[in-house]
Amino acid sequence: MEQSPPLRTLVFIPAWNEEASVDAVIADVRAHLPEADILVVDDGSTDTTTARAQAAGVIVATLPFNQGLGAALQTGYLWGLRQGYDFCAHLDADGQHPASEVARLLTEVREDRADLVIGSRYAAQAEPLPGAEPEGEDYKATWSRRIGINVFRFILTLATRQRFTDTTSGMRAANRRVMKLFSENYSPDFAEIESLQLAVREGLRVEEVPVRMLERTGGTSFLTPLRSAFFIFKGLIVILVGLFKPRRAEAER
Amino acid sequence: MRAALMPLAAQADHVSLTSQTRIIAAALAIVFMLWILDLIRRDRLQERYSVIWFVAGLAMLAGAAFPGLLKLVADLMGVRDTNVALFSIVLLLLLGLALNFSVIMSRQAAQITRLAQERAIERAREQEAREALEKQLNGDAASKPTRD
Repeated sequence: MEQSPPLRTLVFIPAWNEEASVDAVIADVRAHLPEADILVVDDGSTDTTTARAQAAGVIVATLPFNQGLGAALQTGYLWGLRQGYDFCAHLDADGQHPASEVARLLTEVREDRADLVIGSRYAAQAEPLPGAEPEGEDYKATWSRRIGINVFRFILTLATRQRFTDTTSGMRAANRRVMKLFSENYSPDFAEIESLQLAVREGLRVEEVPVRMLERTGGTSFLTPLRSAFFIFKGLIVILVGLFKPRRAEAER
Repeated sequence: MRAALMPLAAQADHVSLTSQTRIIAAALAIVFMLWILDLIRRDRLQERYSVIWFVAGLAMLAGAAFPGLLKLVADLMGVRDTNVALFSIVLLLLLGLALNFSVIMSRQAAQITRLAQERAIERAREQEAREALEKQLNGDAASKPTRD
């Protein structure tokens, strides 16, 4: 291998009122990814998320008001692109995502096997996972959630002709090509699903890697059955419309 | 049955605007346009968003001044009752306007999001620069006593 400047990695953590768990997540990332820089994107929290993250010694990008997960994630991609990082990854701030699993996703993009890697809770696990956190239970979905997941799985598979099992996973790793795409074009409403569709359409290599996730430590899921139904309906429209969106010029490839 | 309905249909053929309605409509249209002019004058409404309202006011005035116009439009639409024509036109216009506003809102929402993101990134840069400076200053302070 030729001599070149070392490749830099960014791990960003979108956080909205996560003062209870943000410290632990930062510590976890530091422990498992010591070479990576960490950015917390505070999505207009009304608690002390920003202060806690700054006290923990990481850079914090604070959005002046709550803009939604999609906008927070895009801020992370934008930072990664502008600061010249070669790879980036993101994980949830609520402690559901073990950093050891994020490290495995990053390996995939670093070894150039994919442009975008999704950590999937549901993909078949071929091998026992090394370094998974022993404490906590494995992730279990509620029934209303499971219906939504299956519908999206089916539709997105139809739309992209690629099999996805965990369409709403918030644990991902990406290279610069993806950072460029997502920092320009990222739906604020339906970030997870539309971004997958977009990436596949733009000819990027998207791959799923089975990961272990933990039961959320605090708070409850926002999905009631009615909300799930609305969520599914909105998702269907998004995917349908996405099919007819003009493809961007394939620059950079 | 059919024969009994014919006179009713013939009645509906007339433009059903009395002079009283026409005067009220014309007055309303004029007040409406003056209001829009005043809003523009006081910088409460931007010119580019006022055009469509002004056109609507003019159309209202024209309709009040020349009821035949309404009849013509109704005939073009194939609607026998001019009232139905009037209501459907207004309804469609309002629908179009509402959609237009949703488009404008979407664009502005996207702009606001990008602005918020740029601000967040600026803050992060500020923090980075401040911490680098503090480190440098602390480093100087720490190295000074050892030199003395």
